[in-house]
Amino acid sequence: MKVDMRLQGKRLVYRFEDWLAAVRRIDRTQIVIIIGLTLLSAFMLLPLVYLFNHAFKPLHELLLFPPTFIVNEPTMQNFTDLMALTQTTFIPVSRYIFNSVIVTVLATAGMVFTGSLCAYPLSKHKFPGGNWFFGAIMVSLLFATEVISIPRYVVVQSLGIMNTYLGHVLPMIALPVGVFLLKQFMDQVPNELLEAAKIDGASEVKIFLRIVLPLVTPAMATITIIAFQTAWGNAETSTLFMQDDAMKTLPFYMGTLTSNLANSVARQGAAAAGALIMFLPSLIIFLIYQRKFIATMAHSGIK
Amino acid sequence: MKKRILKGKTMRNLEGSLFILPWLLGFMAFLAFPLLFSLYMSFHNVKVLPFQMKYDYVGFKYFKSILFESSALYDSIIPFFQEAIVMIPVILVFSLLIAILLNQKLRGRMLFRAIFFLPVIFSTGYVLTEFVNQGEGSLGFLERYELSSYLNMVLGDSSWTNPIKQVLNRFVLVLWFSGVQIILFLAGRQTISASAYESARIDGASPWEVFWKITLPAMSPFILLNLIYTVVDLFTYPFNPIMDLIGNGQGSYGYNSALVWIYFMIIIIFLSVVLLFYVRLSRNRSGARR
Repeated sequence: MKVDMRLQGKRLVYRFEDWLAAVRRIDRTQIVIIIGLTLLSAFMLLPLVYLFNHAFKPLHELLLFPPTFIVNEPTMQNFTDLMALTQTTFIPVSRYIFNSVIVTVLATAGMVFTGSLCAYPLSKHKFPGGNWFFGAIMVSLLFATEVISIPRYVVVQSLGIMNTYLGHVLPMIALPVGVFLLKQFMDQVPNELLEAAKIDGASEVKIFLRIVLPLVTPAMATITIIAFQTAWGNAETSTLFMQDDAMKTLPFYMGTLTSNLANSVARQGAAAAGALIMFLPSLIIFLIYQRKFIATMAHSGIK
Repeated sequence: MKKRILKGKTMRNLEGSLFILPWLLGFMAFLAFPLLFSLYMSFHNVKVLPFQMKYDYVGFKYFKSILFESSALYDSIIPFFQEAIVMIPVILVFSLLIAILLNQKLRGRMLFRAIFFLPVIFSTGYVLTEFVNQGEGSLGFLERYELSSYLNMVLGDSSWTNPIKQVLNRFVLVLWFSGVQIILFLAGRQTISASAYESARIDGASPWEVFWKITLPAMSPFILLNLIYTVVDLFTYPFNPIMDLIGNGQGSYGYNSALVWIYFMIIIIFLSVVLLFYVRLSRNRSGARR
């Protein structure tokens, strides 16, 4: 046993020396860069830390001014409050969650799928009016959908998709940012690659799926996250197009919890817990996709 | 097997149109038509009756009243523009810098990358909404984390306190606004082949020269992309003062639509000035290189 311990100690020392050597191999500029990035990362993580801590604060800490950053006496009270609140409503919260999941999945898939389909011919086929169409997309980028909610209401109403899942999904499908980003990235894919595939007899669908899409994976990952965010956090379609409470989504429900803050101080805690719950799926999706952001570009054979 | 009756080119065009079609339909129904409809509304006095909407033509009345008869638009738009003009270059330079650093071989760069991409999920989603809600409508970062009082302690009440606070406040905003930009730059940086850098090194170019002669020119499509993205992102951000003005709209539907279109014209003008400036700048640069 004693020998074992000594051996292990020795191994530790060696390992430490290895580590020291590795650290010494990093030159001075690297150290400066790493320190700089670490400091900046701390700032980057602030909202995250705040969000997590906020959800576990007891009421008297929540209302402190100026607000504190780290929780002193963590408590689960906010979550139990939230549960209690959800039990008093007529429609169970699970219904909202269910709606949100369905809408988010459908809308995200729709946005990414139609967006990439649309960006490919825009980028690689020269067809009459293509530039005009792209110009129209650029123009629509400059409008937030909030400002055109009334005409959208009219459209949804005349399509007869009020109070349906389609009424949630369809208005979100056309995501100009997605087409815009994907088109710019597809422009970077060399035409020779596509020509070669065409000569080998690949169909357009095959070229799109096998060559273009894998080459723009970083853009696709980015779009997926943006699309997910848009769909998951969207309370607008619930407010405007859903009169039936059973068809509304989680962000809308969370919004109703926070909106009457003025007369109920007690709901602050539940709102903070709700914010964390709303944020977690985004974080998970982000962690899944963040590696894809840049992983493939380097080996893609672009340029 | 399907028989090929159509010519290859027609076939290709047809396939292309089929690819575009689903998105185009959504675009037409939920973006293009509503936009044109709001343009129509901006010239009309819209009355909501029980079973229909009634539109009375009023001409440029709303446009006139917004542009010449009140200062509400200018009051919110001028400070916002000042801020945007400072923030856009800072966001671009900052994210370019970070992207280049993150492209270097560092220890733990995957971790750093993940952290710097995080704002992608802050800026578009629920988190900043929550922040803004709890911070009385502003991103009063310094107050929230008690940094303000520390700063006061350290700096006393010298004249430097306020500018430093301002810069720090902005700085955090810049950090949170630059997630997508960093990704785009990093992806762009990776399209530059390593051999270009290698040959530059063999020719004895300094890192400084390499940056200006290789990295920057090769990145220019991505700089343009990011420029547009940043402008759009800032100007359609739900919490910017003009969006607030439009959202709160005390005016009628017609009035609000007119406001939307005026704002849109302003963005278009701003964006084209910026683009013109960018094209001029990059043309000068490429001219100088030859």
